[in-house]
Amino acid sequence: MTDDGQPMADDQDTTHFGFTTVKRGDKEKLVRGVFDSVASRYDLMNDLMSAGIHRLWKRFTIELSAVRPGQTVLDIAGGTGDLAAKFSDLVGSDGKVILADINDSMLRVGRDKLLDAGAFGNLHMVQCDAQYLPFPDNSIDCITIAFGLRNVTDKDLALRSMERILKPGGRLLVLEFSKPTNSLLEKAYDTYSFRILPMMGKLVANDEDSYRYLAESIRKHPDQETLLGMMEEAGFVDCQYHNMTGGIVAVHRGIKA
Amino acid sequence: MTASRSHDPAIVIAVATALELAVNRALELAPSARKDLAELGGTLLAIECTKPEVEMFMVIEPCGSLTIKTYSEVKATTRVRGSLDDFLSLATAEDPAATLINSDLEIIGNSAPLVAVQQIITRMDIDWEAPLVAVLGDVAGHQFAQLLRGAFSWGQAAGKSLRRQLSEFILEEGRLSPPEAELENFYTEVQSLSLRVERLQSRLARLAKRVSESA
Repeated sequence: MTDDGQPMADDQDTTHFGFTTVKRGDKEKLVRGVFDSVASRYDLMNDLMSAGIHRLWKRFTIELSAVRPGQTVLDIAGGTGDLAAKFSDLVGSDGKVILADINDSMLRVGRDKLLDAGAFGNLHMVQCDAQYLPFPDNSIDCITIAFGLRNVTDKDLALRSMERILKPGGRLLVLEFSKPTNSLLEKAYDTYSFRILPMMGKLVANDEDSYRYLAESIRKHPDQETLLGMMEEAGFVDCQYHNMTGGIVAVHRGIKA
Repeated sequence: MTASRSHDPAIVIAVATALELAVNRALELAPSARKDLAELGGTLLAIECTKPEVEMFMVIEPCGSLTIKTYSEVKATTRVRGSLDDFLSLATAEDPAATLINSDLEIIGNSAPLVAVQQIITRMDIDWEAPLVAVLGDVAGHQFAQLLRGAFSWGQAAGKSLRRQLSEFILEEGRLSPPEAELENFYTEVQSLSLRVERLQSRLARLAKRVSESA
């Protein structure tokens, strides 16, 4: 059923966009609309919404990547390039970092920010869909996707695509909002997400709906164990996850066999 | 599978980040310490605290700055294991080599870089004037730095004097704790008594054996 109670033609052809059920083909366009709208104030809103903690979550993800000089790193849904900038330092001039995003507004903001910060030379930008990654098989040492997987229409397809392009022994790191481990924290987090977050979105970015979508999409995203199972299903081995900030965020790691 | 960690990684990484920022800021104001550290560039020190259970990795960069991480897959040059108390005593020790030998700290790998880092940190001479001059200008910055230096060295001297007087009061005036020499004498006497008792015990055993044989 759609939000307004109209029946959908076939469940196979539908997916969720926050709490709304939409046609699979429409989700990409709707998500693009959200990110077009928030791109210019994305970094500011991230800092405000998480009180700066998103920097710690990202820093831990970078540590878990164990990236070395000379390696090739793909940062999917890389947005405004927080991870890519750090990876660019880590891989050095012999390595390569590819910042990929489906949304050209986000890529443009990311490109300008990275150039202003003096990060270039080993950095490449690619506009692409995480479900159909345009890279050769076994060509990437490390893939990261931070706060992006929940926006992908077919997550299983995207995970399989990532597994295909990783080199054997290469690793995937998925940093994503997840399920709090404490029920009290979960209640506080719900209040924050559905009451305070959209209000902040309205005040700072003049866009209440996009930030309501953010809260809703987090609730629709698979929890820690489900995502772990999906990664194993996609062919990753030695999969594990670390809960952060009481499970509000989790970073999953999988290795290509 | 959940990776087993006793603390939330976000909290540990916040501590590591704050520590890294503070140390690097201090190193920026102490160029000679930074130069000494640069000579140890590429060294990875693993600090494994058992109580509370936290692991951190200190990477010395070739430029002399420090990167503090909470996860590393690279083999550490030196790994030190111990409780927080042991690490605090090492950090404040005047003779780090002796502290390393006498404490409960367990060292795996080469201990030389660890001692060198501890000595560099202890000797760090921070130039307070540079940041103050940048903010307040040459004249006011210099005057304020002089004031701070004066206050700092008075604080150090006062601290030393207070420690000495406190120790004298505890040992001599209040007799709350025996002096070191007195304690050592007591230990020697206890040891000698224990040896005499052991000798007497074996003599008694010999006598008892002789009596039972003659009976």
